[in-house]
Amino acid sequence: MQTKRSHEGYLLIDNRNSPGVTKEFVRSTGRHAPVVGEGAVLEANTITCAHCQRGVILNPQRSHRREWCSYCDHYLCDNCGLIKKIDGKCRNLNQLFDKLQEQLASGERTEHY
Amino acid sequence: MARWSVNVPTWTPVAVADTTNFTDAGHMSFQGGSSTQRINVLEVYMGGQAGASSPSIMLLARDSTVGVTLSVGRFAALDPATAALAAPPVAFNTATTKPQRSATLSLLNLSFNAFGGIVRWVYSPGEEVGMLGNTASFGEMSLSAFTGGTPGLLGSHFIVEPF
Repeated sequence: MQTKRSHEGYLLIDNRNSPGVTKEFVRSTGRHAPVVGEGAVLEANTITCAHCQRGVILNPQRSHRREWCSYCDHYLCDNCGLIKKIDGKCRNLNQLFDKLQEQLASGERTEHY
Repeated sequence: MARWSVNVPTWTPVAVADTTNFTDAGHMSFQGGSSTQRINVLEVYMGGQAGASSPSIMLLARDSTVGVTLSVGRFAALDPATAALAAPPVAFNTATTKPQRSATLSLLNLSFNAFGGIVRWVYSPGEEVGMLGNTASFGEMSLSAFTGGTPGLLGSHFIVEPF
């Protein structure tokens, strides 16, 4: 039987021999990224959103639950979780790939879109 | 299916904005070998090789414009007994028509300092990022630098599983 933990991947950012990145630098990029400073090591569990396939670094301090799609039985990121709450649809990307691949192979479709 | 390594031993990313042509040798891209090929990405690794502090905003992203006329890069099976692929995917960092990173389909932000920093992202089995075909936007993926920072020399690899 699969557990939710079995869906988790692994991230290592090792700055033991590096100046790392500062909070100010990450903030200046306008993007979300972990801040791992000089001499520090980050090891974290990760998940992949089943609907958009973005990687998410799990924050052990988070107190509210992670989004989950009970149709495809996978974790979702917060954005896709919100969309699913609104319309209730499962948009599993791998299932879409399966469908597109069959259509491409049968000649029913010649392009992805 | 068998696992393969796409790797570039040493390269310096050139920072570009989304939907802007990549610079030859300033990115690491990977394109499907046929219009129906499925590929899973299992691991992304970067090891910094710069000689001075080089904070870099590295993105793993799908490409909204795929490269054309590619100069083939390193693509090696992890197991020596692996059979050759009929339509091998293409690793490349040089192309006549330059690929462009999608503005919306970036998958990982792996900001790090190329002065000795190491980043390794491993997907759990069954949770890998997938690719389909060899056209935009599902058929090509790239590791590249976003604008900002001072990208420095690094070595990188993807572990992938073509089907």
